[in-house]
Amino acid sequence: MADSNTDDLEPLFDYRRVQPIDFVRIDDDSSDTSPVPSPKRRKIPDPDVVKIDDEDEDEVEVIEEEDWLAPPPMVSSNAYSNIGEDSTIKELRLMKQKLVSFAESSKTLSLEEESVKRKVSASLKSSLDAAVEQPKDPSSERAKIVVSVQKEDECKHFRIYMDDKFERLFNMYADKTKLDLQSLVFSFDGDKISPADTPASLEMEDDDLIEVHVKKR
Amino acid sequence: MSGGIARGRLAEERKAWRKNHPHGFVAKPETLPDGTVNLMVWHCTIPGKAGTDWEGGFFPLTLHFSEDYPSKPPKCKFPQGFFHPNVYPSGTVCLSILNEDSGWRPAITVKQILVGIQDLLDAPNPADPAQTEGYHLFIQDGTEYKRRVRQQAKQYPSLV
Repeated sequence: MADSNTDDLEPLFDYRRVQPIDFVRIDDDSSDTSPVPSPKRRKIPDPDVVKIDDEDEDEVEVIEEEDWLAPPPMVSSNAYSNIGEDSTIKELRLMKQKLVSFAESSKTLSLEEESVKRKVSASLKSSLDAAVEQPKDPSSERAKIVVSVQKEDECKHFRIYMDDKFERLFNMYADKTKLDLQSLVFSFDGDKISPADTPASLEMEDDDLIEVHVKKR
Repeated sequence: MSGGIARGRLAEERKAWRKNHPHGFVAKPETLPDGTVNLMVWHCTIPGKAGTDWEGGFFPLTLHFSEDYPSKPPKCKFPQGFFHPNVYPSGTVCLSILNEDSGWRPAITVKQILVGIQDLLDAPNPADPAQTEGYHLFIQDGTEYKRRVRQQAKQYPSLV
């Protein structure tokens, strides 16, 4: 009795082990989405800065007005200070900013890469989990029945899924009895069973008897 | 109440039949056009015994159960005009175990009825004729009787 109890418990633990992984995946998704807006915010100022150096103040204002919410004040102050300085410093600053933006974009790229990796691994995990779960779950749902196959006097028993095509059982039977499948006719309740039928489609029950007839030539 | 008893018994008979029955026999309650099952009428098939003139034939038989079943036996009918000394022209089988006043007992199962009728096919009871033609040929012209039996077996080939 104790043994059977532990047997019952183990699958339950397995399920719990599976579930937290699912939760982790959900957390990952949310953490993946949150960093996405921040790189965007950083990226937006970049074209502004470039433009500021090339064009007049008016246009800078216009651009700023367009997305005045997006760029933080720091960037605009940078832009203002740039204008007053001489060209070499400007260029240097520009280079620096470009480098910084590159570095940032590379950072965001690496971040994105990571997040993508995480996503892939998570989805892989979840799909693996699903693959592990699927045969488990349906096995409780996917009912199995025992079918007796009766040939004249001898009777063989097969355990098959309710949604299994009879084709499989026919092949199994022919293999077991070493009879030519072409010469066998299977019937249930007087009706010929088609290889495409399933126990479910014939409304079969556990322990039902099907007959096999060997065609005479 | 008796109807409940009849249906309860027939449901049991059907259950037992699905799990085990002699090879080649069919016995299933009729399914009405609307998909419901009528336990009171069963459509059956009796295979002719191997090694007899009846071999190769799969003879359709209908069992009509009354509300008084199993106190009373079912009426067992082959198709009209079935060739056999103990089958009435209507197709009704005349057999002692199917006679309420003679051999019927409520404990007799559907399986026993069908096997009993299969036995009767090759072992007619000349003491209890039910049709003229079958009886006369059986008594007077064995060769012709055999020929008719074989011919009839060919008329009812296996459906599978």
